[in-house]
Amino acid sequence: MATQIVMDRTGDTRHTFDVQDRAEVEKAERRFRDLTGAGFTAAVRSGPGEQRVIRSFDPTAEETLFYPRLVGG
Amino acid sequence: MTQQIVLAICSFALALLGTLLLSALSLVVARSGSCSRSFRFETEARALTLLKGWLSPKQRACYERFRYFDVTGSDTGTRYRIHHGTQTNIEELSSTGHHVCKWCFVPDGDLVAGDVMLAQKIALETNERGALSVAHRSFVSNGPRRF
Repeated sequence: MATQIVMDRTGDTRHTFDVQDRAEVEKAERRFRDLTGAGFTAAVRSGPGEQRVIRSFDPTAEETLFYPRLVGG
Repeated sequence: MTQQIVLAICSFALALLGTLLLSALSLVVARSGSCSRSFRFETEARALTLLKGWLSPKQRACYERFRYFDVTGSDTGTRYRIHHGTQTNIEELSSTGHHVCKWCFVPDGDLVAGDVMLAQKIALETNERGALSVAHRSFVSNGPRRF
C-alpha cells in the first residue's frame, strides 16, 4: 500500500492505494496531477530527514507528501 | 384583580422561559467552543507527528528540546533555523552562527505550525531560491545572539 498525504486545515488528509491495483493507481495519478496542477508541491522521502521534490507521479513511492503553494507571510 | 394575577403569572412564566433558553444557549456555545479547541489540538498534534516523521534524528532531537531545528539551504548552503510557529519563524544564520535576518514564507491556507514548519523545511532543503523568492525578509534585530 502507498499513501498520499495532503496538508490541509485538518492537519492532513491521507489517501492510501494498492500499488497492484491498476484502477487505484490511476486514481492516485489523477490526484497527483490535480494537486500539482493546483499549485501543490509533491515530495517523497529519500532518506532519514531527506526528501526530494517530484514533478511526475511515482507509483513506487511509499509516501508522497503534498503541501500548498508557498506565499510570503 | 384577577387580570393582574394572570398578568403576573404570565410575566413570571415568560421570565422563567427566557432564563431557561439563555442557559441552554450558553451551554451549546460552551460545548461548541470546547469542540473547536479539541479539534485544533488534534490537528496540531497530527501535524507535529507528521513533521517529526520527516525530520532527521538530529533535527528531531533539537526540535524536541528547543522547539526549533536547523536546515541547510539547497542552493547556497546557508543555515536556517526554523522555530516553532507559523509567521516570521525562519532565522538565517551566518557561518559563525550569528543572527542575520528573518524570513517569512508559508504554505497557502490556514495550516497549523507542524505543517507550516514541514513545508518550510522541504522548501529550503530542496528549492531554497524558489522559497526565498516569495518570502518576506525582516532585519529586525534580536540583539547579538550566537547559536
